[in-house]
Amino acid sequence: MNFEDVEERDGVRLSWNVWPSSRIEATRTVVPISALYTPLKQREDLPPVLYEPVTCKPPCRAVLNPYCQIDIRGKLWICPFCLQRNAFPPHYKDISNTNLPAELLAKYTTIEYTLSRPAQVPPVFLFVVDTCLDEEDLKALRDALVVSLSLLPPYALVGLITYGTMAQVHELGYQDCNKSYVFRGNKEYSAKQIQDMLGLSPQNRAAPRPGQPLPTQAFGAARFLMPVQQCEFQLTGILEGLKRDPWPVANDKRALRSTGVALSVAVGLLETTFPNTGARIMLFAGGPATEGPGLVVGNELKEPIRSHHDIDRDSAKHFKRASKFWEGLAKRASNNGHIVDLFAGCLDQIGLLEMKSLTNSTNGVIVLADSFTTSIFKQSYLRVFNKDADGHLEMGFNATFDVQTTKELKVSGLIGHAISAGKKGGCVGETEIGIGGTSAWKINCVTPRTAAAVYFEVVTPAGQPLQPGSRGLIQFVTHYQHSSGQQRLRVTTIARNFAEAGSPSIPASFDQEASAVLMARIAVFKAEIDDSPDVLRWLDRMLIRLCQKFADYRKEDPQSFRLGDGFSIYPQFMFHLRRSQFLQVFNNSPDETAFYRHVLNEEDVNNSLTMIQPTLMSYTFDTPPVPVLLDSVSIKPDVILLLDTFFHILIFHGETIAAWRKAGYQDQEGYENFAELLAAPVRDAQELLVDRFPIPRYIVCDQGGSQARFLLSKLNPSTTHMSTGMYGTAAGGASGQAIFTDDVSLQVFMEHLKRLAVGAQTN
Amino acid sequence: LQPGQQQYYGGVQPEPEYINGPQYGQQQQQQMGTLADQFGQMNMGQKGLRLYTTNLLTSPPDPRELHNPPPEIVLPPNSCISPNPSANADPSYQRCTINAIPTSNSLLKKANIPFGLVLTPYRSLKEGDEAVPVVTDTVIARCRRCRTYINPYVQFIDGGNRWRCCMCSLSNEVPQLFDWDQVRNAPGDRWARPELNYGVVEFVAPTEYMARPPQPAVYVFLIDVSHSAIQSGMVATATRTILENLDRLPDEDGRTKVAIIAFDVSLYFFSMPPGTTDSSMLVVSDVEDVFLPKPTDLLVNLAEARASLEALLGRLGDMFKENHIIGSALGPALQAAFQLMSPIGGKIIVLSSSLPSVGAGALKNREDPKILGTTKESGLLQAASPFYKTFAIECSRGQVSVDMFLFSAAYQDVATLACLPHYTAGQTYFYPAFNARTEDARKFAHEFGEVLAQPIMLEAVMRVRASKNLRMSSFHGNFFVRSTDLLAMPAVPQDLSYAIEVQIEDTITAPFVVFQTAVLHTTCYGERRIRVVTTALPTTGNLSEVFASADQVAIATLLANKAVERCITHKLEDSRDALFNKTVEILTAYKASMTAAGAGASAQLAVSENLKMLPVLVLGLLKNVGIRQSSQIPPDLRAYAQALLTSLPAQLLMPYIYPTFYSLHNMSPECGTVGEQGVILPPPLPLSSERLERHGLYLIEDGQTIFLWVGRDAVPQLIADVFNLPNYEVLRGGKTTLPLLENAFSQRVNAIVQKTREMRRGPYWPHLYIVKEDGEPALRLWALSCLIQDRSDVLPSYQQFISQLKDKVNGGNY
Ligand SMILES: [Zn+2]
Ligand SMILES: [Zn+2]
Repeated sequence: MNFEDVEERDGVRLSWNVWPSSRIEATRTVVPISALYTPLKQREDLPPVLYEPVTCKPPCRAVLNPYCQIDIRGKLWICPFCLQRNAFPPHYKDISNTNLPAELLAKYTTIEYTLSRPAQVPPVFLFVVDTCLDEEDLKALRDALVVSLSLLPPYALVGLITYGTMAQVHELGYQDCNKSYVFRGNKEYSAKQIQDMLGLSPQNRAAPRPGQPLPTQAFGAARFLMPVQQCEFQLTGILEGLKRDPWPVANDKRALRSTGVALSVAVGLLETTFPNTGARIMLFAGGPATEGPGLVVGNELKEPIRSHHDIDRDSAKHFKRASKFWEGLAKRASNNGHIVDLFAGCLDQIGLLEMKSLTNSTNGVIVLADSFTTSIFKQSYLRVFNKDADGHLEMGFNATFDVQTTKELKVSGLIGHAISAGKKGGCVGETEIGIGGTSAWKINCVTPRTAAAVYFEVVTPAGQPLQPGSRGLIQFVTHYQHSSGQQRLRVTTIARNFAEAGSPSIPASFDQEASAVLMARIAVFKAEIDDSPDVLRWLDRMLIRLCQKFADYRKEDPQSFRLGDGFSIYPQFMFHLRRSQFLQVFNNSPDETAFYRHVLNEEDVNNSLTMIQPTLMSYTFDTPPVPVLLDSVSIKPDVILLLDTFFHILIFHGETIAAWRKAGYQDQEGYENFAELLAAPVRDAQELLVDRFPIPRYIVCDQGGSQARFLLSKLNPSTTHMSTGMYGTAAGGASGQAIFTDDVSLQVFMEHLKRLAVGAQTN
Repeated sequence: LQPGQQQYYGGVQPEPEYINGPQYGQQQQQQMGTLADQFGQMNMGQKGLRLYTTNLLTSPPDPRELHNPPPEIVLPPNSCISPNPSANADPSYQRCTINAIPTSNSLLKKANIPFGLVLTPYRSLKEGDEAVPVVTDTVIARCRRCRTYINPYVQFIDGGNRWRCCMCSLSNEVPQLFDWDQVRNAPGDRWARPELNYGVVEFVAPTEYMARPPQPAVYVFLIDVSHSAIQSGMVATATRTILENLDRLPDEDGRTKVAIIAFDVSLYFFSMPPGTTDSSMLVVSDVEDVFLPKPTDLLVNLAEARASLEALLGRLGDMFKENHIIGSALGPALQAAFQLMSPIGGKIIVLSSSLPSVGAGALKNREDPKILGTTKESGLLQAASPFYKTFAIECSRGQVSVDMFLFSAAYQDVATLACLPHYTAGQTYFYPAFNARTEDARKFAHEFGEVLAQPIMLEAVMRVRASKNLRMSSFHGNFFVRSTDLLAMPAVPQDLSYAIEVQIEDTITAPFVVFQTAVLHTTCYGERRIRVVTTALPTTGNLSEVFASADQVAIATLLANKAVERCITHKLEDSRDALFNKTVEILTAYKASMTAAGAGASAQLAVSENLKMLPVLVLGLLKNVGIRQSSQIPPDLRAYAQALLTSLPAQLLMPYIYPTFYSLHNMSPECGTVGEQGVILPPPLPLSSERLERHGLYLIEDGQTIFLWVGRDAVPQLIADVFNLPNYEVLRGGKTTLPLLENAFSQRVNAIVQKTREMRRGPYWPHLYIVKEDGEPALRLWALSCLIQDRSDVLPSYQQFISQLKDKVNGGNY
């Protein structure tokens, strides 16, 4: 089985593709049966299905699929999940073995229905814009926002909230002048208050005089959220006229940013006017909340913003209160099906760690840029509005993600940017991994990149494995609002065999890449709750147990330890995962940590692997570029390295290359090959950038330069200032660069692993 | 003419000599001139005034007497160092209830006349009025001990190097530059200094008199834009009026600032960045916790933001024309305005059409017809919420004054709202059930325009000093008493009157006493000044002189203030009783000491000639809407009348309690034409309906309202000439604008109406109502209520009143 072909077709990668047939055996295989599923995986070959799906009787409601047994003559089908018999609906009366609807064809294990009832409301985009910016930044942001208006579908509703010391909701439909509703920046407003203050409730109103109907538009949401095509001129005018927050800021103070009020007004406005329909709140913050609810740091400059150490020592005085506030807001937004995006344009932190629940529970995006003038911001922002071949935005809204399983498989939970939809049916297992206790979740934003990790457990009566040859089924059903306004239903049904304990088909079906990513998600999920040392120990334990189970070795003889091909690179992933910014947070700011973890929980297997174990390409004369070990031995004076960590793309010039470049050889005749050597990694880097989101940080540096630290921090420290040339270095001779670190190298790590796996003494 | 009908404009009759006599307040200046001439001679002649006794039972009130000047002030020789007739303040600025001060409290008690000052220190000037002279050299000579400003009643001693204070007799040094002409940089003429020649004078203050640089004038308009305000046309009229009067707003120095805040249950601020025509609207709905939505461009320089301000005013009505919101966040709007301007101070002008219903200062409708006319009624005249007084005191400290323009058709709690102008030295204006489609628009636009155009004194404090043994004991009027006798007035409007009661603490030995009112203020063009009003009065140990010098107009003004205060602190009937009893006391005192009857019974009711009108003025007060016994008067109307009774200067207050009554159909031909003194008015008639003839046309006015009374038998010719209608039957009663027709009579009547509207100071533009004798009862009764000498309902006629007084004076023996 080619895992990537399956992924291509069904958007799913499983840790195991043959499943242990008993609960006990499933536990022994260490890595849980789990799937990384991309519901909106782009499929150009999917046929348009413009009818309603046929579903099983309640409470099952599984959707008809190629794994169903059908009785053509009896016009019946048997649901593989609940084994009930269902009659085909009348309009299926003409089906035959040669005339089957698409959903019954084997090639359509994934299919997408376009439902007949469209969404009531077009998608809503509500911009929440920080105005405590310097002129240049504000201009760049204004320009980006104006450009984005032209990228929205003309029928999409847009709204604008600006904030600084106070928060202002702009009334777009008002013709007489610019009009906005102003909220105090330092006060927590209830949803009801916001509704009243925006005049969205019909109290205090005189009855219209007879024959003079009250224009309902005049006081409804329509004043604040209008179709782009109707208000583009007005909104562009307002955006272009946006000025820096007018309240004075003393030299020793931060600007007052009432981010909390601005977002709570945004959430309040949408929850009142458009609950349970697709809406996107896009926050553009130039700094941390310094005023009112959700305050991340006080406005005195002498008070530094919290670090990981402060949080660790429990001395970040606003942290808990702020997080609680933002969680409350996130809960309201996510329950209403709305998305919150966080765009940071700030050299320092903006409080992403406190605010992360907003994006993590609504699957909004996080873009972390030093300023709104950077291309990281500009390009990333515009990429949010990427369109498909039909010109529709590549984003689905307000999705419900349902997982159905056959009875021997239960759902443990989901890890991804979703919230529980509280569906407690027969599919829900006892073990909880991630967001558990349910078999359905709300994912408020689904894009072709969105990948959810779903974990399962095998449930069999104690000591009673399944019959040989049994097959288990999983059906993923994603109901979402397409950006065109249609409601769509994506259904993926997969089937896998169970195998008895010890069957070689189980290890043969191990997808070590998918498993690494699925385990990484669990590790990060745990790290969000537990201390990282515990998480690292857990990871180690799991790795050792996996090796104990599947490696060949003689007890207590580390030298005899051999891992099969199907497991060979898995320990490396774990090694790099342990060292990654996802679990080693102290080298990053809390905001960066929140950002990195957020992205990890969004992406598919390949991208996630790049994040866990960055790729390194080496360029030199006369040979095509080659992938090289992510190891300090790869650093050589006469090569150019191209590192892709997903978040950073780094071009590293070896000493000699750098010297030549500085001497300008590339511009001289006769040195075209050098010029070409310099150009090649740049070209490849551009290639990597094409569909990356967010845009990575692009760094070009030289060996010995300060920026080179980004590379060094990622390399396996096989040659450290401590190393005694014990492994690998002999072959490389004097090559490579010593890295100043106390981290263990991959080689040391592997030695330990072997010893522990075989049960040998460690020292 | 049909048989039996009289010619409506009467035949040729011998003219009464007073037909073209001076009108009240119209010719004070000229009167004073004459008076001063006599006064100059008096100094040479005998001391004191003669007392003329009159019998009230036989000498009915004569309205013309109200127009007489107060009794002469006969100072002892050489009291004044200036021969200038204006050395003593004109009574329109400051007058005393008694023009010869009893030397002891016991003597005052014998006269039983209320002793007090009535003052209008910031009187407006009409065309031809003399401006207040200004001392510009900032040399201000004041007594070291009592801080009195040098004035025409001090004495120079020690060869002119020192001056003796007229209040406390302390000898003070004359300031070095007192005799130096700083303009010409040469020795000056001390005797030409205005402060030694004028009873009303203004000093340009040096920096010692400033706590901060002089503030600019600031106007913050709070405009109600709720459904009713829009529907009534108030907003359109108000914005148009502001727009039309922008050039008249005081702004000589180009520093005047303006802000506009609209409100319903939310607040609407307008940001007007200078140099643009754009404004943006910032809505603040958080009225529980008011804040300014922006630190700049809300309060803008009038000149710099003129374009955007004009654009905004032109559009404001349209912006809210679909507004269906009912309710009022007046309190929060006031708080917002205060926040906006409190660093500077200035004036908040409130234009409100409804009862405040949300946020701070929200009020409940407490109007209850059942308690009208009962002892509980005075409760409705007290403030319903402490907010307005507390906020007013805050305003006073922040140098913010509030004017209230109220327009509601329903109960608006004027009593409570009027607290704000009351304690912040502003004024309340009331246009009940305002409807811009009627003459209301014109009245309001005129009055509002006048208020806007008025110069105002800013960040003012007023203090009255007096000679030894005289003490200011209580204060009435629109201000806040900051310390014992310092009256804080954040912005002083023109033509508001204040009354101060005076006590004699110990025997006065001086031959004359001096009252000096000083108002330290900033002009609306940025100059710190002190207006000083000085009145010198002789003292007397002679009771007849006390009676002979009593000023009935001043007494009535003081009584009006005291009566209103008593309505609020006690009950309406207590107030009425007090008024009646005070009159009885004065008459009893007079009878006891000035008539042969003494303490015994008398068939007469004697009083001095100069107090002859006092009983009818008291009757007028007792019958005034603010005070009269009735169960029909809406509390808002009562409260408004009370606001007028305590703030109108005598010139406006006298007609308000004793209206003017003219017969027009038979007036002599020159009436309504222009004479030497302007339009000639008919002779005023006593306020009795006996004078109403069924075929007649009459004008009754109280300074606030003009009634044109049309007798039911008015001939068609009269109706045609005046109203351009065929006959009485088709004439409609009510508010109107009189047509100006191509006939002499129409023009004369119009001229009289116009003169009536223009002849007094103050911004008021009275409405004209046509009242048909058999027309709408409420309107008829209203007009007839002006005829206070009639009996109406439970209220006595003048004759009955006099006889009740007589009975009381005679010891309650009926
Ligand atoms: Zn089923
Ligand atoms: Zn003195």
